[in-house]
Amino acid sequence: MIDSVIDFLAPYTFLIVGAVKAVIIAIGLLSSVPLLVWLERRLMGRFQVRLGPNRVGPFGLGQPFADSLKLLFKESIVQNSADKFLFYLAPAVVVFTAIVTFSLIPFGKPFEIFDQKIGMWVANVNVGILFVFAISSMGIYGIVLAGLSSNNKYSLMGGLRSSAQMISYELTLGLAALGVIMITGSLNLQEIVDAQKTVPNILLQPLAFVLFYIAGVAETNRAPFDLPEAEQELVAGFHTEYSGMKFAMFFMGEYINMITMSALITLLFLGGWHSYIIPVPDLLFIGPLLVFSVKVFILLCILIWLRSTFPRIRYDRLMTFGWKILVPLAMLNLMVTSVFIVIF
Amino acid sequence: MLDIAYETVVAVVGITAILASIGVIVCASPIYSALYLIGNMTCLALLFLLYNAEFIAAVQIIVYAGAVMILFLFIIALLGAKKEERDTSSLQIPMALSFVVLLFGELLMAMTVGKTNPVEGKFSVDFIQQVGSARAIGVELFSRHLIPFELASALLLVATVGIICLAKFPLSPVKRRTR
Repeated sequence: MIDSVIDFLAPYTFLIVGAVKAVIIAIGLLSSVPLLVWLERRLMGRFQVRLGPNRVGPFGLGQPFADSLKLLFKESIVQNSADKFLFYLAPAVVVFTAIVTFSLIPFGKPFEIFDQKIGMWVANVNVGILFVFAISSMGIYGIVLAGLSSNNKYSLMGGLRSSAQMISYELTLGLAALGVIMITGSLNLQEIVDAQKTVPNILLQPLAFVLFYIAGVAETNRAPFDLPEAEQELVAGFHTEYSGMKFAMFFMGEYINMITMSALITLLFLGGWHSYIIPVPDLLFIGPLLVFSVKVFILLCILIWLRSTFPRIRYDRLMTFGWKILVPLAMLNLMVTSVFIVIF
Repeated sequence: MLDIAYETVVAVVGITAILASIGVIVCASPIYSALYLIGNMTCLALLFLLYNAEFIAAVQIIVYAGAVMILFLFIIALLGAKKEERDTSSLQIPMALSFVVLLFGELLMAMTVGKTNPVEGKFSVDFIQQVGSARAIGVELFSRHLIPFELASALLLVATVGIICLAKFPLSPVKRRTR
């Protein structure tokens, strides 16, 4: 009985493995969001010399659960003037693109179990990094649609600002990543990591790392580049009219994007799952996964640190900074890199 | 079994692309038209992906669905998205119908060609799967098609400079404060 079932399923093993991986990634990402919010609130509290949430459970760890429950049971308000369909579509687009983007991120060496070679990724696409950029750029639609459908001038301003900002900084992001792609000679994220076995790219491309990090912060709409939701000017920007779970979905999208961006920086510049100074044993898949997670965690903490340290910059300065400083610097980096590649 | 599933997926994506493109011209509201166009482009990218052209698929999404359509939505948001009034008095309908008949005739003529053969390129399928479609396209673009490629990039640069000239430096000083 069991044998015949196994025989029947044998040709579809890759489908089953893929589906299981997809479910694990989706659930893992969605459940890491409340923890990340907790981490951010705790760390921000410490950075600003206050306590942060510490009442619900040990270290305030019950706070994210209380918050999620509250958001689930809140009344969802849709104002009469809104375009209903787009109003519901926008948060879904944001979360969907955020999760799909992460599915392209490899986060460990492939390992063998039950005669099956299992890669630590959902999809290993040959032009992986291009796909990451492509799908994450689709995420802008969620924000623009939220701004358009809300029929509110603050929302509209937030949506417009966000699209202009993200298009501008995507250029820097791509140009900075091109330096890494050129020295690796591959668009496959796994091959990019494998090429950093001895030296991480941050030592070879320090300028590109800085540019990529700044552009990454702007891409994820995090402070000091959180112009789309500048509280003092725009109430809350594109999600002014959203409440309850739909508001929470925008939140989820933002935090998943933070994780994805940190993972991407780890893969491109910090050598992914290779550890350099401290040797880490493989142990099936735990060792590389641990190294990767620690790097991503540190980058996430730096993102939170940035938010609590820098004030928001003015919108015109944001654009000037992006187009007149970051883009020329990225092009310079690209030129210097190509000259070096030709010489050596 | 898997082949049938593959063919079904291709057919579903293709039909969705056609439906989306019909949606573009049928919708009265410009936002929905733009959204249908985005859907159409995404379906095209999926088709490229299904035919193993990953690089083209990524470029399709980055350039068209990601950049060009965002600018469309941007402009719609700036100008205000009002529904278009239907204009039945002019010659629009007979003109459109004659175009439809013409294009349909062309389609029927194309069907009479019969069996077509795939064009053999310089690279074999095995080679492309080995090095990836991005590298194959790069090699082809920067060797055989170098001059057209560079000319196209020069054309785009000229267009950009031209737009900046038009926007920033009016040929004759115009007084704009008429509003």
